[in-house]
Amino acid sequence: MKKLNPGWKLLSLILASLLLSATFRIRLNLVVAAVGLTVTLCTPGVDRRRLGLSMVPFLLAAFGMFTAGLWFGADGGTGGVVIRVFGQGTLYASNLTTAMQLSSRILAYGGLGMLYAFTSSAFELVMSLMQQFRLPPKFAYGILAACHFFPVVREEYTIVGAALKVRGIRTGPVSPRRLIPMLVQALERSGSLAMAMESRGFEEGAPRSVAFPTRTGLADLAFLAGVNGGIVLGLVFL
Amino acid sequence: MENKTNTWKLKEIILAAMICIVFGVVYLAGVYLASMIAGVLTPFGLSPLGNELVFGVWFMAATLSGYILQKPGAAIVSEVIASVIEVLLGNWFGPLVIVAGIIQGAGAELAFAAGRYRKFDGLVMYLAAAGACVTSFCWSFIRSGYGKFSVSFLVMLFVVRLASSLLFSGLVCKAAGDGLAKMGLLKGYGLGKNHA
Repeated sequence: MKKLNPGWKLLSLILASLLLSATFRIRLNLVVAAVGLTVTLCTPGVDRRRLGLSMVPFLLAAFGMFTAGLWFGADGGTGGVVIRVFGQGTLYASNLTTAMQLSSRILAYGGLGMLYAFTSSAFELVMSLMQQFRLPPKFAYGILAACHFFPVVREEYTIVGAALKVRGIRTGPVSPRRLIPMLVQALERSGSLAMAMESRGFEEGAPRSVAFPTRTGLADLAFLAGVNGGIVLGLVFL
Repeated sequence: MENKTNTWKLKEIILAAMICIVFGVVYLAGVYLASMIAGVLTPFGLSPLGNELVFGVWFMAATLSGYILQKPGAAIVSEVIASVIEVLLGNWFGPLVIVAGIIQGAGAELAFAAGRYRKFDGLVMYLAAAGACVTSFCWSFIRSGYGKFSVSFLVMLFVVRLASSLLFSGLVCKAAGDGLAKMGLLKGYGLGKNHA
């Protein structure tokens, strides 16, 4: 898993998710979720504790969709819509089916999402987007540079909140009072970051060589074809 | 992404990315709140509402960058940058976030395009927020299967999402952009030039 080209892997999984979003197959969704999670779990070097932790919000979301589908499904218990769509497949189509369809889909997305998130490195993804998908280098390096500030900005958010609290001002998480100082910092930082990059010889449009080449191999194409082919097969047979 | 008449400077790209990072952090904080609300609402089947409440924060990067940079493509490019950053930071919804970014950014971009990238006032900002809201809602139909919900529930979800978008991506972003321009920090960008 880790050896696959991240850009192609991303493309494969986007296509797979789009395929799933066009349909409502409960069994297929569950199979995709299970396979995604199993492969993620079996990939060497995956942080299993983190994986377990990140399962929590995604199970909650699925459960939330389940109850929402149960109480507020379109067919209101009469089952007309669902029966027509699924023909003989569903005998007692009710809101329970709707609930299962909605929540199993969340699980399937989650399985694919985890498969990507836990087996790919951010840096390699950007490198691959630049080398295989023609992302202009100034976007690639600009995004990477900004990305590395994420922990700093997160700390800043806490600091700004604390500073306001000291002054006796209570703010919500999305309050403009808390946003403005952070945006000011972001502006200053982006100006100096751009200047720093340019002064170290980063030139827009100049020919560049790459220090970290990413390659596309047969395995990537096989993954693309395998995942999506598998889902199409599942759509037909499950 | 490259526009021939309006090329992006490195400074502008990094600014857009930085704005995305700031809102990414804010969104994260909002999400904790939202998931608590969602958790409380789950027994009543209302948990999607929790998500809808903070949905507007998603579009803030698009509308604010569009407002500050004032160039064609600013909203959509920055929303895509935001979604790429989401993926880089390991969002568990993973790959689909990028598709969502393109769709939401396009919604905001439409409003700016309707003003021919010359008009940047409150109205355009609210339209941009509403545009992102509408396109993202259409996307929810496909992605989350909203078509399976009853009409009255859908209307409620839409109203909450629209209110959230108008408040966060419209009102707050406009105020933030104007505030920054007044401080004289945006001299090198579209908004600051108009203010001067």
